[in-house]
Amino acid sequence: MDRGGAPLARGALGRSRRVVTVLLPGLLADQAGGRKEFELDAPTVGAALRALPVRDLLFDERDELRPLVNVYVDGMDARERGGLEGELLDGETVRVVAAVAGG
Amino acid sequence: MSPAILVGTRKGLFVLKGDEGRRDWEVEGPHLSGWDVFHAAKDDGSIFAAANHAVYGATVQRSDDGGKTWERSEGLGMPEDHELTLEKTWHVEPGSDGTLWLGGAPGVLFRSSDRGESWDPVLSLIDHPTRERWNPGAGGMCTHSIQFDPENDQTMYVGISAAGVFRSEDGGESWTPANKGTAADFMPDDPFPEVGQCVHKVLVHPAKPERLWQQNHCGVYRSDNRGESWERLEDNGLPSSFGFPIAIHHRDPDMAFVIPEDSARGSAGEVGGGDRVTTGGRLGVYRTQDGGGSWELASNGLPERAWVEVLREGMASDRLDPVGIYFGTKSGSVFVSPNEGNEWIEAARHLPAVLSVEVAEW
Repeated sequence: MDRGGAPLARGALGRSRRVVTVLLPGLLADQAGGRKEFELDAPTVGAALRALPVRDLLFDERDELRPLVNVYVDGMDARERGGLEGELLDGETVRVVAAVAGG
Repeated sequence: MSPAILVGTRKGLFVLKGDEGRRDWEVEGPHLSGWDVFHAAKDDGSIFAAANHAVYGATVQRSDDGGKTWERSEGLGMPEDHELTLEKTWHVEPGSDGTLWLGGAPGVLFRSSDRGESWDPVLSLIDHPTRERWNPGAGGMCTHSIQFDPENDQTMYVGISAAGVFRSEDGGESWTPANKGTAADFMPDDPFPEVGQCVHKVLVHPAKPERLWQQNHCGVYRSDNRGESWERLEDNGLPSSFGFPIAIHHRDPDMAFVIPEDSARGSAGEVGGGDRVTTGGRLGVYRTQDGGGSWELASNGLPERAWVEVLREGMASDRLDPVGIYFGTKSGSVFVSPNEGNEWIEAARHLPAVLSVEVAEW
């Protein structure tokens, strides 16, 4: 069982840290123990998302991002800047947004 | 302990807590707000919920404090190299020795021996050699019924729509189709196939485990030989052979309850499923007290004019005396009969669409 309290990712010794902020929507925050903001040392969008305690809700069992999960980096759709492999810069904000469709 | 009902809805889980007479009910919740709770069951003090989300996928969630806080199972899913991925979780069923079983879509079954911390796919069923002849029903290809022989914990049954009933006599190591005599009227070139039947709900009678009851897309059935063969119960008082849930009286193996929908009569060549609301706009619970030989309307207290839907997980019965019968509607009402169908009380209304009803004690 996942209690949503996974520790923050730590930068490897000797490597410059790229601390990014990840923001979760309410339902995911509930599943992350009530926490909606995470500060992580993550080189890529994928690494940031995979370090979250709700990783299994964002990725399926084949480690593919679920199709209705949208990710924005400083307001830009992550697909437009390399997708999961897109590099993150120190201080950037990654926002997870559930796709809104239908009525 | 007081009676309680776990009500899974499109917008979370509600708990209805009743008085000793089961006439006054308080509504608590929603828990797991935002999740489609397909089914929830209480076992050994914990609540297990099959909770799904259109964006975030299929989960099982456990609460050890009556719904206040929840933990999500880790690692639930198919093996990474398997051709299938988990689409939905449908039903959690406690087994013997603390084992939990989980049915889901597409036609999958999992087992947990650590209170839901982790789940192992039951590949003997998932990769069954007949699988290529399974097809999804309108609700997806869901494993929704998981039942055990109370006298032999190695014998168990699952119902999958539309694959049929499967029986295992070795604790889930191997599975045999158990559909002889159940019709697939929607397959007119072969109406009695080995597999492919659209079973809607299967129950084993706890006091007479050789007796199984089944509501199928194509009829209500009874088996008296552990599913070796089935007898269709039709033209004997039921206004339609189509419906989704079925409930039983836990002491009297001859008593069962169904809620017919549509206006299908298999004996007249009619296949149900086109009009999935209560037959004739009458919210009718039908009760048999003679093993399905005849059925009577047992709807005292239910609205006479109501076009409602009751889903396959939407009906349950308790083990009290007299037996209580419960069902919920997609229009958000939960009805309770504290006396075996003789009268009905609306225990809650204006809930989100009810997906499941399960009895519990509190």
